Amino acid sequence: MSSIFRGKFATGIKIAILAITTAILSLLAQSAFASGESAIGAFLVFAIVALNFTYFTKFSIPLKFFVPGILFFIAFVIAPIVFTVVMSVFNYQTGNYISKPASIEQVLILGVEPDANQTTFDLVSGKNSNGDYAILVSDIANQRFFISTQDSITDVAAAQLTINEYGVATTAPGFTKISDDELAANDAYSKIRYKYQDSYYVKIEGQGVGAVFRQKIAYDAKTDTMKNIITGQTYVNNGKGNFALEGSPETVLTPGWRTPIWFENYTKLVTDSRFRTPLIKVFIWTVVFAGLTVLSTFSFGLLLALALNRKMRGRRIYRSILILPYAMPSIMSILIWGGMFDSEFGAINNILNTHIAWFSSATFARAAVLLVNLWLGFPYFYLICSGSLQAIPSELLEAAAIDGANPRQIFRQITLPLLLQILSPLLIASFAYNFNNFNLIYLLTGGGPRNSLDGEVAGATDILISYTYQIAFGRGMNDFGLASAISVIIFLLVASISFYGLRKSKVMETFG
Amino acid sequence: MSKWLRENLWRHTFATSMCIFSLFPLYLVVLSSFKSGGSLQLDSFVPRELSWENYKMLFSSPKIPFLSWVKNSLIISSVVAISSVVVGAASAFAFSRLKFKGKKFGIQLLLLVQMFPAVLALSAVYVIMERVYSFAPSIGLGSQAGLILVYLGGSMGVNIWLLKGFVDSIPAELDEAAKIDGASPVQTYWLIFIPLATPVLAVVCLLSFIGTFNEFIVARLFLVEMQGRTVAVGLQQFIGGQYASNWGAFAAGSILASIPIVIIFLSLQKYIVNGLTAGSVKG
Repeated sequence: MSSIFRGKFATGIKIAILAITTAILSLLAQSAFASGESAIGAFLVFAIVALNFTYFTKFSIPLKFFVPGILFFIAFVIAPIVFTVVMSVFNYQTGNYISKPASIEQVLILGVEPDANQTTFDLVSGKNSNGDYAILVSDIANQRFFISTQDSITDVAAAQLTINEYGVATTAPGFTKISDDELAANDAYSKIRYKYQDSYYVKIEGQGVGAVFRQKIAYDAKTDTMKNIITGQTYVNNGKGNFALEGSPETVLTPGWRTPIWFENYTKLVTDSRFRTPLIKVFIWTVVFAGLTVLSTFSFGLLLALALNRKMRGRRIYRSILILPYAMPSIMSILIWGGMFDSEFGAINNILNTHIAWFSSATFARAAVLLVNLWLGFPYFYLICSGSLQAIPSELLEAAAIDGANPRQIFRQITLPLLLQILSPLLIASFAYNFNNFNLIYLLTGGGPRNSLDGEVAGATDILISYTYQIAFGRGMNDFGLASAISVIIFLLVASISFYGLRKSKVMETFG
Repeated sequence: MSKWLRENLWRHTFATSMCIFSLFPLYLVVLSSFKSGGSLQLDSFVPRELSWENYKMLFSSPKIPFLSWVKNSLIISSVVAISSVVVGAASAFAFSRLKFKGKKFGIQLLLLVQMFPAVLALSAVYVIMERVYSFAPSIGLGSQAGLILVYLGGSMGVNIWLLKGFVDSIPAELDEAAKIDGASPVQTYWLIFIPLATPVLAVVCLLSFIGTFNEFIVARLFLVEMQGRTVAVGLQQFIGGQYASNWGAFAAGSILASIPIVIIFLSLQKYIVNGLTAGSVKG
């Protein structure tokens, strides 16, 4: 048996697996570099080196056990977290989503104005005799016809043209019309600025229609400013991802770009009441929600464990039924509860014979969330408590009974303190888990009710994590920078709660 | 009043009412799955009709690829469960049994990282996989292989932590004996540890299977095509998606999808509870 793990056979398998892995990773790295994803490419190269180095040298034996795990861990856990932390110091939101060069390009594309009359022309797209993209424009009002390309404009006499019943020229000598399909498939035609008079140009605005514009905004790379050529106003880089009008910082050109704004996302949360008030509101509900959930699931679980903590008829049946909620896939259960709370067709109103719109009222929605979480969570504490009750030495209880303590005294002065001591790390872990119980809130109430019409992002049942999800991915304004900053804060909070809990437990002692 | 009543009445009353509380939603789902209407309404506690319409619909409607959803879920969850245990067991063994520099730091990092709200790192994962898609579409965004990679990577921290808890509970005497006999750590791992740990690894494997089967948010973000969805994402469509509210079909589908999970869970409850106290809380 041991020869399988030693000698030529094992080495052969090792080399074969490594060779295949290296080959696949090299191919991936190559195509990553080829398509400009150098960060991913570099990581793949690092993975290849790390794998081969670890398994072909005797540098470190523990590393042989770790390397595959570490590589996955870096790629899908550490990298996203680092990315999130970096984003938290960026102005990275709707309107400041793209890179600076892309933003400048967009500002220049948008920085145009129509001529005084807002002139539009009928036109036909195609190619001129040189094969350049061109349009055949009919200025019907002035009875002027011309073929225009990016850099030339040639007038054509009406006599040389075929003109249809609307007075629009459809063919001209040397001009090849292209089909509508081709036009729709190739957006190069609509991007070109076809020459017109002075600084004005014609741009295709729709099928067979063009309008006259001129450039209003120009970029000066030297001073990193935008200038309005017509009025002479200057827009300066405000250091926060936008060009702002000189003397009027509120007037900015859009779109902006994503850029570091350092701690502004964090300070905004503390100083700006538009962000601080909902955050505090959500934070309080998060703590109340997690706290009440732990309290209710623990008390019901403990009571059940106490009730069933003796030989009695039907105990096994009770146990099997009681852990069903825990065994069910939680996603299904949450969705089912969501249906049961439906105000019109739900079973809850059915039974209570009421017509409560559960998810439209803050109080009822919160009660529903807590009730569903009790259903989901009490079996866990029932299982844990019944296990722990067995672990309490029976001599202690007997001694107390002999000393004349009644069952209630025994429970309050011996069983409960001992249990709390044993279970405190789990209670804290449960608190931390519910603090971030995204699935429950997201699938049950979606964080609502919230008054979206007032632009309210924080709903009545939103906990920090679902609120943050709304900020980052919700409808309307998306602010990744702010969401990342809140994530970092949540992280610090939960980490400190958990470390406090763990320090009290035995887990830390085994670290050494 | 007899002594039996005094001592046991409250126990049975309380346990029975909690059982009713536990069973009620489940009973309702079973009831709805046999009803032809589309709501979770409770007309009566006793079923009035026994219609197999909803079940038939899952298997016959061409618009609802229920079987391929189940297949996808099974494939994705099995691959993730097995690979994550294979990769995770080695790391857990090292954390639990080997001595090396940075061990304490490694364990603390593992723990710390678990506290990060994973949902929020999701946008970053999305961006990464979007970029992977640009050069390797078969393992990027929208592919099942990509989803498997993300799950595998994402579960690494939790799984190593959970496995370490289990591994710690396996007595170390045998490994130490092997070490004294001159076995290298790699030999100890394959010849002593793996055979001993197989039952434990199987339990973690099944836990990871259940966890992946249950996952919703990432799967919904990743799998866009109807055919390629997982059961959780597919079924959610019945009540929150394009089919409007069809609770009957949802109920039938979730019963079918939940039965295997519930059976696995109930048969392994003893081990799972031990694992939970050692590791983390189930989602």
